[in-house]
Amino acid sequence: MPEPRVIDGRGMEPPEPLARALAELATLAPGEELVMLLDCEPLPLYAILDRNGFRYRSERRADGANEVHIQKA
Amino acid sequence: MQPVLSFEQAPPISVPYRFFLTAPLFGAAAGLVLVLLGPETLQSRWSPGALAMTHLIVVDFMLQAMCGSLLQFVAVVAGANIWRPRLVAAVVHPLITAGAIFLASAFLLEQQVLFLVAAAVFVTALGLFLTVMAIALLRTPARGMSIHVLRVAVLGLLVTVALGATLALTLGLEEHLQTDWSLLALINVHVAWGLGGWALMLVIGVSFLVVPMFQLTPSYPLWLTRLVPAGLFLLLCLWSLQLVAPGAGAQVWQSGVALVGVLLAGFYAAATLMLQSRRRRRQADPTLLFWRGAMLSLLVFALSWIVFETLPQLGGNLRAPLWLGVLALPGLFLSVITGMLYKIMPFLNWLHLQQQGGTSMTSPNMKQMIPEAAMRGQMRLHFAALALLLAAVLWPALALPAGLAFTASCLWLEWNLIGAARVYARFRDRIRASLAGGAEAPDRA
Repeated sequence: MPEPRVIDGRGMEPPEPLARALAELATLAPGEELVMLLDCEPLPLYAILDRNGFRYRSERRADGANEVHIQKA
Repeated sequence: MQPVLSFEQAPPISVPYRFFLTAPLFGAAAGLVLVLLGPETLQSRWSPGALAMTHLIVVDFMLQAMCGSLLQFVAVVAGANIWRPRLVAAVVHPLITAGAIFLASAFLLEQQVLFLVAAAVFVTALGLFLTVMAIALLRTPARGMSIHVLRVAVLGLLVTVALGATLALTLGLEEHLQTDWSLLALINVHVAWGLGGWALMLVIGVSFLVVPMFQLTPSYPLWLTRLVPAGLFLLLCLWSLQLVAPGAGAQVWQSGVALVGVLLAGFYAAATLMLQSRRRRRQADPTLLFWRGAMLSLLVFALSWIVFETLPQLGGNLRAPLWLGVLALPGLFLSVITGMLYKIMPFLNWLHLQQQGGTSMTSPNMKQMIPEAAMRGQMRLHFAALALLLAAVLWPALALPAGLAFTASCLWLEWNLIGAARVYARFRDRIRASLAGGAEAPDRA
């Protein structure tokens, strides 16, 4: 398993986390994972992932951050 | 080249932009009413000029901007599907614009038939808008307090329109219509739902999301996100009882309800200012400063209300409601709306350019969409106009400079927004040209 790529978007002003995610998704290889740490639930990103063949799961961490794991479906 | 990702059905950019680019023009029209009619406009809230100005601001500036934002916000942030957004915007936008012109003319010319025309136009436009919005908000997969509060705000708009139409019928058919409701009670309840149940409720619901997100503040405490909107809604329902229980006894009770509502709004403003003081980013952008100015206006509104309640010789003055109106409309609502437009339009430009296949090479940075200096300059003029309007309530001789400053501020805002729309068009054309020259075409251009 390759190391997941991580974007820590906490403290970034929108749409910077989304912009960074789009750049990473463009080069994400099958089996590779992108992990995003966010303060909010990224609904616009989910919509883009759904339409472009990515699967994802998100969980709320104890520190309040939202952790989103993304892979090519 | 970065592969083009297809985006969810966000409404075309023209849907919100047609509303946004119309809104400030009617603020400018409101300023011109003050310039042309002069000090007599500020004699009381019931002067034809004051009524026309109020409705130009609330219906055409605020409602226009809020409808445009909501169409976009509900689709992009709440992930809800709006039914045929382009068609809805093409019907609702011109009708609201026309309705506001009819309504302002009805007040200025004191023509009864114009009230009836305005009412018919608004009921058609907002009936469609409210139906589409209610369906989208009830079906959205998104959860959270913001969505619940937006639903209540949409209900608030429904009540406001229904009461506004009743008022227009009452004014338009004075000789033919006998109603059991007192005109003043009807107006009190219409104003409370319009400003509290619709506009403030919308600001509150949106703030729970955008203040922490864009201003990098801590989140609002969960208990506050429940208490403030639920309390406000309950108080509005109690306030509405004056329609069915008029009389002197009710009057004392109603002023208590209003006072608690105003204290709740002031508490929300203070809480927002405290959150903003704990933000993680030190520099203050125009959006943050507009929000801060808005929340300070709301605090001063609440304090003024308390002073007017405790000192009847001040509160009984015909110009006291005008003082409150200036703090609420240009002070609170136009400040929030302008601050949000300066954030939303660059964001939508960026989002839609990405959607067209833009990359970091072909799309400008968010910060390049509207020059920072232009936003700050317009902001200074806006707050100067607000100060002049408040001063003109005290000294009506200042009506001319206040009206001119407010008109200029609205026109400058319009110019800044047009600039953002032109940046979008320029880069969209550039992206299209570069894609046409390349091998691949985007799947959604």
